[in-house]
Amino acid sequence: MVKKVLIVDDDQEMLLSLEEGLSKYDETFSISTAEDGLGAVDELKNSTISLVVTDLKMPKMDGFSLLSHIMEHYPEIPVIIITGYSTSEMERLAREGGAIGYIAKPFMIDDLAKRIITTLRKEADGGTLHSVSSGIFLQLMEMEEKTCTVRLIEKSSGKQGILFFLDGQLLDARCDSLRGEAAAYEIFSWDDVSLSIQNACPPRERRIHRDLQAILLDAMRLKDELRRLGKGATPGKKKPTPAKEKIERTTPVERVKQFLKKEVGEGYGIEDVYEDNSWESFVKGIGRLGAAFKAGEFRVAYIDRGDSKDFILLPGESVTVVAVNPKCARDRIMEALGE
Amino acid sequence: MKEILGDILAMEEVQGVVVCSSEGEILFMEPRLEIEKSLPLFVRALGGIREADLIFEKSRIYMRKTETGYLVILLGLFASGAMLRLHVDMALPSLKERGKGKGLRSLFRRNK
Repeated sequence: MVKKVLIVDDDQEMLLSLEEGLSKYDETFSISTAEDGLGAVDELKNSTISLVVTDLKMPKMDGFSLLSHIMEHYPEIPVIIITGYSTSEMERLAREGGAIGYIAKPFMIDDLAKRIITTLRKEADGGTLHSVSSGIFLQLMEMEEKTCTVRLIEKSSGKQGILFFLDGQLLDARCDSLRGEAAAYEIFSWDDVSLSIQNACPPRERRIHRDLQAILLDAMRLKDELRRLGKGATPGKKKPTPAKEKIERTTPVERVKQFLKKEVGEGYGIEDVYEDNSWESFVKGIGRLGAAFKAGEFRVAYIDRGDSKDFILLPGESVTVVAVNPKCARDRIMEALGE
Repeated sequence: MKEILGDILAMEEVQGVVVCSSEGEILFMEPRLEIEKSLPLFVRALGGIREADLIFEKSRIYMRKTETGYLVILLGLFASGAMLRLHVDMALPSLKERGKGKGLRSLFRRNK
């Protein structure tokens, strides 16, 4: 099963030499490239990437932003940082951001290849199977209450997909730009697949709420219907996107709690949410400062007092405070609350 | 001073950088912003806060405590937080060095 590795660097010579140098490993992994973070985001959206190697300093979208995008949308994809501007601080930030490897330029291409291969091997630490029917195999995952990530390739088309299981429950699926049930329908319509199992499932939002059996049956039914109609459309694309859940209108604190649970998820360092008007005059001061800077209406503030907790302040009739662990997923939380 | 803050100023989304004393007196400002009245009041209200990241409707203001006051950065909403914090972490030791010995004010060009 040849895996796809995405290399991101704005230095075209570097990209070319990496492509050339790594081509001797093409039985193990293939290479696709992007010249900046935005190009990488497109590539990630439209194909199934197993690993990303990225530079940090790039135009349009830098490596940290790309790393944060990957951790948010594709937490199962390992990221290796390569940089010519290396400091221990930068390495710490990259690792805190979720990078599994950090290599300072210049480096030996074979060393990078070794790192890539070692990392990719972990994708299949639970074994690899060829020419199987996905449906029967996946029911076994449910029966055995497996926690794993299953990567599948359809033999005839070369399409790739990923399924995420937690204790036998199908949490999410991804296939090109499809997510959740839509991706599961697509994957379950494949007849002859090769698959590899990784004995881990990264923390992720639950996008699939129905049980595997029901989705498998629906996928088969949709596939038969499409066959009868003689349409080449994929079952996944037939599935309508579910409407966004409505957030219940309650107190500001409850709304913030619900919003964070939905948009950020649990276990990202959020410790408490409460009202605290002792911050009121400080928040008014932020508003005045924003007016002086012509920055517009105040939305959200992150405050680090050097204590064991940091605070996120949200203005309103009362100030809503989110107490967080200093090692929380800060950018993710701020991005969600700032919108 | 521009040399020390060069990486920050070169970031795509950065719209302005201010270095001020702990009383809010502006010691360096690039480009000129009309904040002389509001900044001292707010800096005094910070009360020693190590770091403040303020998101507004149109921009973002990032403030970081230095040895002698605060480094204040005005930036767009899509700036990379991690990259900004990294550049600030790297600039702080040089800011500290520049502020030592001869007295901070004698070394900073005042833009007021």
